[in-house]
Amino acid sequence: MTNRLNPRLLGVALIAIALLVAPFALSGQQYLLRVVTTAAIYAIAAYGLNIILGLTGQLSLAHGAFFGVGAYTVGLLTTDYDWSFWTAFLAAIVGTTVLGYVSGLIALRTQGAYFAIFTMALGFLIFIIVVRWESVTHAHSGVSGVKFPENIGPIDFTEPATMYYFVLLFLAGAAYTTHALLHSNAGRSLVAIRTSEDLAKSIGVNVAVSKQLAFTASATIAGLAGGLFASLNGFIGPDSTGIDRTFEMLLFLLIGGLGTVMGPILGSLLVAFLFEMLQDLETYRFIVLGPIIVLLVIFAPRGLIGYLNELVPARFRHRDTTPEPVASTTVSDTTKDGAL
Amino acid sequence: MTHLTGRTFKKMAAMASVGLLATVAACGGSGEGGEETIVIGYSAGLSGGAAEYGVNVQNGLKMAIDEVNEEGVEIDGKKYQVKLESLDDQYQPGTTGTNVQRLVEKEGASVVFIPHAGGIKAAQELNSGRTEFLIGAYSSDPAILDADNPLTVMIPPSFDSYVQPFIDKVKKKDDAKLGLMATASEFGQEWTKTTIKKWEESGGEVLAKNNIDYGTVSDFAGPVAKTLAGKPDVILVGGPSQPTALLIEEAREQGFTGAFLIADQAKFEELEEFTDPKNLNNSVGIMPLPLFEGTKDFIADYQEKYSSEKPVNADIALNYQALPIFIEAMKIAKSVDDPKAIRQAMPEAVKSVEGVFFVPNAVTDKGHLQADGLQAAYRNADGQYEPFDIEQPKE
Amino acid sequence: MTLFVQQLANGLALGGIYCLAAIGLTLVFGVLGFPNLAHGALYMLGAYLTFFFLTDVGLPYVVAILAAAVVLAFLGVVLERLVFHPLRNSPHTHHMIATVGVMFFLVAVVQEIWGTGFLRMESPVNGQVSVAGAQVSWQRIIIIVTAVVVLLLLTWFLKRSPHGQAIEAIEQDRTGAALVGINPSMVSMVTFAVSLALVAIAAGLVAPINLLSPGMGDSLSLTVFAIIILGGLGSLPGAIIGGFTIAIAEVMAATYISVGAGEAAIFIILIAVLAIKPTGIFGTVTQR
Repeated sequence: MTNRLNPRLLGVALIAIALLVAPFALSGQQYLLRVVTTAAIYAIAAYGLNIILGLTGQLSLAHGAFFGVGAYTVGLLTTDYDWSFWTAFLAAIVGTTVLGYVSGLIALRTQGAYFAIFTMALGFLIFIIVVRWESVTHAHSGVSGVKFPENIGPIDFTEPATMYYFVLLFLAGAAYTTHALLHSNAGRSLVAIRTSEDLAKSIGVNVAVSKQLAFTASATIAGLAGGLFASLNGFIGPDSTGIDRTFEMLLFLLIGGLGTVMGPILGSLLVAFLFEMLQDLETYRFIVLGPIIVLLVIFAPRGLIGYLNELVPARFRHRDTTPEPVASTTVSDTTKDGAL
Repeated sequence: MTHLTGRTFKKMAAMASVGLLATVAACGGSGEGGEETIVIGYSAGLSGGAAEYGVNVQNGLKMAIDEVNEEGVEIDGKKYQVKLESLDDQYQPGTTGTNVQRLVEKEGASVVFIPHAGGIKAAQELNSGRTEFLIGAYSSDPAILDADNPLTVMIPPSFDSYVQPFIDKVKKKDDAKLGLMATASEFGQEWTKTTIKKWEESGGEVLAKNNIDYGTVSDFAGPVAKTLAGKPDVILVGGPSQPTALLIEEAREQGFTGAFLIADQAKFEELEEFTDPKNLNNSVGIMPLPLFEGTKDFIADYQEKYSSEKPVNADIALNYQALPIFIEAMKIAKSVDDPKAIRQAMPEAVKSVEGVFFVPNAVTDKGHLQADGLQAAYRNADGQYEPFDIEQPKE
Repeated sequence: MTLFVQQLANGLALGGIYCLAAIGLTLVFGVLGFPNLAHGALYMLGAYLTFFFLTDVGLPYVVAILAAAVVLAFLGVVLERLVFHPLRNSPHTHHMIATVGVMFFLVAVVQEIWGTGFLRMESPVNGQVSVAGAQVSWQRIIIIVTAVVVLLLLTWFLKRSPHGQAIEAIEQDRTGAALVGINPSMVSMVTFAVSLALVAIAAGLVAPINLLSPGMGDSLSLTVFAIIILGGLGSLPGAIIGGFTIAIAEVMAATYISVGAGEAAIFIILIAVLAIKPTGIFGTVTQR
């Protein structure tokens, strides 16, 4: 890429700069900073979903539950067991990785809609455990007093801007991982699986192992985001493990653009602000939001990023990353224009 | 699909929907009020399941605010208009947190009313840090006080007060059996815990927990049959009134003749609307609002204002009469935006405010509104309510 | 023993409801290939419509249910035309997301029209009968009987009527069906109409023993998804057997173990079955 001004890079740079200066622009408006921080956490989780759904084409509806497991691990360990945030956070990441791996072993035996509903059942089972295992999870009472990360030298995490940058660090990490993945052999294998499992097999992709790794990675990222969420909020209830979370993340991803690098960030931020704006409409907002979702799927199925990509002159488009999907009606064509 | 037109159409539609989003977003950010406004924040479930309760409390607050404005509010020489700013959180604590911060920082509220325990706890996490605001906590869960949050004012009586007197009313023999069917929620869970403890202390036997989520269960018959199989003498029920009524009806139909111990979320006056009142005979619960002295006018005013024929319950009345106390405290504190000063003025403020029933006359150090003359009612075999006094523990 | 009989009757009634709702869902899946996540919201709408026709219009109970079924059937055709037809060449993920949009919309609309509170529909038939010492209400007996009758009618429709045969043909072999001149658009519309009519009947039957609220479909849809997956997507006998099995397992686990076990039973069974047979009990067609 030797072009002088690549609009894609320009877009990425603009978003990165906007995110970096956000705390200064929003100084004195901690509530907006909180909205942005929360949106960034959801964006991280959406990156997890992006790996299994956007790249690999498997709709995992247990994603919100993995998020909740991460949140509860940090929540319970830092309060009832008085661990430090850092060790609890590590435990949350390791815990969700193991959980993701083990459940992937069974879940990935199923395909298509079976996989979607299987993971939905798995998510619901996790929710029931949280709600019914009162002696450990406090069930409906939730967990109060979740710790902020302990200071590292002079860095004080109770400061909202610090917490924001801390979250941003992971967000950047998630975006970079997605970018790197798309340009790696592993990522190409995943995209091949999305296109057609049989085809992927025939060109020598180890479908089972690739899917297993993608599913595990998505769970890890969801758990990580959940841990951050618990610390930011200080209080978590069973609602943070529910299926509604999964649907929200799905919405972010869809609006931003499935299988793209910048889609999760854009989608989460946009929807977060939209929800804030629509607050005044109270119940009417769902009357508006429902049809918007339907319209988006029908008319802009590639999300915002896909739509923006269409505007980018062809010479800037990556040609070396994603293979053109083979003609197939079941397979998503979301990244036909390559990844931003 | 024809390529050219199809593509153009798609683009246009995409742009149209983005435009729609922008318009909607623009409409959302409605104008700021004038300088002389006191904003009272409110975050509750106003859509989705169980939103009725959130709307009831909201109506009570609105009615109080209209009356306060009619009388005129003057604080430290300035005239003010009071305004209620409500946000929907669908009872999700995480959303309550965001809402509260928006209400405090963007709308400038220094008092936020929250009518559910999860949301209150999430808000307590916030106001023990930087963001300062006073919580008007409407939940009878004593855990709210145990948090020792200096900026929380708990409005209703703690349900701790009810449990023992209720048990005394319906527990006829020492080794009586208690069935457990309260709703599966924060509220039902805490009620169940306390009732189990007190029931066992008095030598009774407690059967298996059959708490079900009243909001999502498709058919009460199964859980009821299971509970009845343990041959309970008394069953603890309670959740939103309407499903509670249905559950009671199912138990009576399956032949249960014992007593119901009804947790304070369910209200007799609403239960009567949803099931044959005969089914409610031999139960104990909080007293119907119309039976308290001096509530008739309030009930009539409320029903006229909201042209509603639905029963008016204690949730509405307690919030209605709590709101002026906060405004009065602002007057005494000579401040509309210093939550600490407002909180400090509360003990003084309660003395000068009138109310509907169970009118607060003190605020404990922990921030609990206190009133004398709390009563509950036992509905006897003839369908008559027998009021009895509830002694409230000293805090 | 009395308790067992009592719970068996409750389980059968619940199973009848599950079956009617599950069959509608599995039909749509068999023909169109995606699970309709708005099914629970449509069930909720069916209950409110029955309430409307019974209470506000004053129709007799059975007629009110049928009227609600007709309205929903029509809505099914509209949805197919407006939402799913334009998506016919999109990946199935997009259909599923669109159904989430439909779900949001329906719940919000019902809330605007009927309010947020619970509504109670009076039971048209009161009282109960004593079966082996257990008290079973007439409404539950009606549910069981109606479910069986509707299932028989449906079987007749699928096997004997031209529209029904077309549905079956498409379920079995899409390309083959197109080759013999079956119009897929027509079949999609009919399928949606039948599916929504069935869920309206289920809702109309359950309304007298439950309360109406905008959120009443939420918990049902999870269960019904579990059922059609358990039976094998697109399989009618699978949905019927799955419906009754899960309802009885749910009630019995709640009775003899704990309420939590009852809630979890469905999903534990589902996970166990799929771990052994990833395409459900009767599932034969693997996904593309």
